[in-house]
Amino acid sequence: MAFEQKTAVLPAGEVTYHVAGDGAPLLYLHGGGGVVMTKPLTRLAESRRVYIPVTPGFEGTSALDGVANVQDLAGLWAAFVDTVMDEDKTDVMGFSFGGLVAAWMAAKHPNKVDQLVLAAPGGFTPKGATKLSDDPKKRLAQMYRHPENLPDGKAPADRMARSREAMARYRPNFDRDEDLVARLGDIEALTLVLLGTEDGVTPAEVGHLLRREMQHVHFVYVYDAAHALEIDQPDRVGLILTDFLERGEGFLVNWGSEPAEAAPATR
Amino acid sequence: MQFCYFHLMPYTGSAETVQDWPVANKIFDPEKGRELYNTYLDNMVSAEELGFDWVGCNEHHMSPFGMMANPNIIGASIIQRTKDIKIAMVGALVPLLNPIRIAEEYAMLDVLSGGRLIAGLLRGIPHEYVAYNMPPSESHARLSEAIDLIVKCWTEPEPFGWEGEFYQYRAISIWPRPIQKPHPRILMSGSNEASAIHAAEKHAMLGIVSAPTMPRTKELIDLYKKTAREHGWKPTKDDILIGMTCSVADDFETAKQQLSDGRAFFARVLGGGLRTAQQLVMHKTRYFDDTARGKFVDASKQAKISVDDLLDAGNVLCGTPEMVVEQIKKQHAILGHGVTNINMKVGDIPNEAISYGMKLFSEQVLPEVRGL
Repeated sequence: MAFEQKTAVLPAGEVTYHVAGDGAPLLYLHGGGGVVMTKPLTRLAESRRVYIPVTPGFEGTSALDGVANVQDLAGLWAAFVDTVMDEDKTDVMGFSFGGLVAAWMAAKHPNKVDQLVLAAPGGFTPKGATKLSDDPKKRLAQMYRHPENLPDGKAPADRMARSREAMARYRPNFDRDEDLVARLGDIEALTLVLLGTEDGVTPAEVGHLLRREMQHVHFVYVYDAAHALEIDQPDRVGLILTDFLERGEGFLVNWGSEPAEAAPATR
Repeated sequence: MQFCYFHLMPYTGSAETVQDWPVANKIFDPEKGRELYNTYLDNMVSAEELGFDWVGCNEHHMSPFGMMANPNIIGASIIQRTKDIKIAMVGALVPLLNPIRIAEEYAMLDVLSGGRLIAGLLRGIPHEYVAYNMPPSESHARLSEAIDLIVKCWTEPEPFGWEGEFYQYRAISIWPRPIQKPHPRILMSGSNEASAIHAAEKHAMLGIVSAPTMPRTKELIDLYKKTAREHGWKPTKDDILIGMTCSVADDFETAKQQLSDGRAFFARVLGGGLRTAQQLVMHKTRYFDDTARGKFVDASKQAKISVDDLLDAGNVLCGTPEMVVEQIKKQHAILGHGVTNINMKVGDIPNEAISYGMKLFSEQVLPEVRGL
């Protein structure tokens, strides 16, 4: 399913977004490397309407005055849900940096967020716990367990450099977002946290923290995946995403070999 | 040097030669089996009083050569009758089993025993894959993923799920948790290159119980140590276990005859089905890679090796206590290991001879080799 690129005008300014598919909505917030059309996303677009807005400043877009930090971004995307998606609320998924923004959406705009997926979310790593290496080879290993799955087998260096500049506006340092940590217990959305077993950026302690502090949360390791888990294990991630988004808490129970559509509605 | 008293619990109630796999259980007499289980349990429990450091259980299926289809049941029984001896599961055949269940049962054993468990997590010998209908070609990959999952079960502070290649569990929090921190020591088999490397990668103890020669065993130990260093850790001698069959008697001829007769019984009666299934797995599947297959001494070849051959190769403990002391010292000088796994019940060696051999070992061998 091919994504279409569009623009929309929100109260804070013009935003670019990608959209594909039909069905229940999903808002996907991309990571610090920019938008990557991963296999799980294209697969989700076969049964859902998937929106991927571009964070202002990424992918050659302009930053917006008044949108200067992750909490502002959360507000921007809440407005996106109203204006562009024309929904009362939507499932939201965020990867890495996008996971931090998604969590803020759930904390500050709970009426816009149905179910929440935090994939290797940024913003929760204790200070000094991990650091992205300056060495390109080591950084690649922290990010990818299976870099052969990348288009052309490598992450484009210029894209990553541009993205780092853009992200610095919203995350000048990589300290833990203590304001958000303090509000984790307020998040009511049913949440799935995904972490790769070989993630060299987001440590397992993040999963433990979210599991401990959030109200309605499930934490799942994706085996043999590093930070970019959608790239490393697209089938595994796709399967659990589809199951969780489709069946809610019912995803805990093995439905067996019958079609998922036959499952009782659990949401 | 530590010593593990290991027992296969063979069924010696029939002398019928069977080559089929599986070995038909119609030749198993449950009353005889009951008698054997209890005799063997008494024998294994006596290892504590006799000064052994560990007692070893194992898992084998569908054959008279080992009646421990579930080693944890025997381990639990031994725990209730002992106080300090380590309980070594040598061990769960992980790729055949449910890893959550392994984690749970091992945690139970660790808690029941007050933290005495040595957690063997093994790949299994080839014929077991026929027994449990598992693809041998997946054995390494299954073992690797399962071990990671088992360690998570033991150590994760919060409930978690696992989305893997072979195992998918959405919500895990095992009860009980083990006593030992961070978790019970893991022991893995290392009888070929891939396994030795795997053990080092997993920071596990290395166990070699069926390497054909001393040079080959040394080669595998060196590979394990090298791989461990590459992964940032340094094994000590206590991380290396070597398995030996052992026959101790008042004189050499008795010890040798005992062992020869036992090996002959094993080859003739206990090992037929094993050989059949082993050939099938070795030659019709990818249980071994080509290198490992070329170096593996299968059960058919092992049956042709005499006790004299083993003595010449330094690959057995057999003789008077004094001779066995020298054999252990010589093996240690070559291999530098810290744990020796002793298997005395070979074939149908009479249980009285086993008990007497254990007594000789305890009184006259252990004091001389403890300090190695």
